[in-house]
Amino acid sequence: MLDVSQQSVAYLQPVMITAAIVCALLAAGLLIWYLLRRPPLDWRTKILLLCGLGVLPIGTAMMGNAATFKHTQERAFCGSCHVMGPYLEDSSDPTSLSLAARHGRNEYFGKQNCYACHQDYGMYGTVMTKVGGMRHVWEYYTEYHAYTLDQAREKIHLRDPFTNANCTGCHSMNNPGWRGQPDHAQLLDELLDAKVSCLGAGCHGPSHPFSKDPVPPPSAEDAGGAR
Amino acid sequence: MKVGFPSQEKALRAASVAALVALALMVWSFLDPSPLAMVVAMSVGQGLGTLSLLLFLGVVAVDIVRNRGSKPE
Repeated sequence: MLDVSQQSVAYLQPVMITAAIVCALLAAGLLIWYLLRRPPLDWRTKILLLCGLGVLPIGTAMMGNAATFKHTQERAFCGSCHVMGPYLEDSSDPTSLSLAARHGRNEYFGKQNCYACHQDYGMYGTVMTKVGGMRHVWEYYTEYHAYTLDQAREKIHLRDPFTNANCTGCHSMNNPGWRGQPDHAQLLDELLDAKVSCLGAGCHGPSHPFSKDPVPPPSAEDAGGAR
Repeated sequence: MKVGFPSQEKALRAASVAALVALALMVWSFLDPSPLAMVVAMSVGQGLGTLSLLLFLGVVAVDIVRNRGSKPE
């Protein structure tokens, strides 16, 4: 089930794209007319050029941005670079029990689960997330596109550590149920200071288990030393 | 070699061509919403579009100043 705002966006997106394309076509028509006819620069030409170079292209950009920004939050968009394929596959797998897949089944933001968990929740979060996304695209086309999946798994890592704020944005640390959990209560200071990650092994992570090296079984020597 | 400002007509023609390229890049990103198309549209496309509008506004401003200067007092 979608909430009202998501329904509006889902309904409006094709409308906005169509309107953006209509604005672009009208602007292109005016500009081609100007280039072919070469009219004198009187007030009428100025108004037409203001529409062709200003009003209509700005309309195209604004409506296009609104629609495409929404599209960039979709899991399918994040998975469109091949190195993200395994993450997309796992997140979309209805039988997977990974943390990412369980969030992918959330009825409110499941289809945008990559964005929901990896976005910057700071004051300028949306902008910073988009800037980070542009850097991802740049690095993909200049370097990572040639990687095999094994190389990608080995060499591509998060630029900054995953912050607990990305979890606590939804899972409030002030909730009595959260505070009542003994592990949370015991590690509260460390969690607040980000010395312990929610996604640590043994806590709730790793969120993408297939991307981590399997923990080797303890050797006989280790087992002996532990005795 | 003499270097001068382009004529009004040349500047407006350049602005029109730049805006057409910008519009084409933006429409490409709507029809094929891939990461590359979107980044190109939102950086090169919108940059060219802004530049063409500024060029037009510059030409209009120069035209207004010239017309004021040529009016009798």
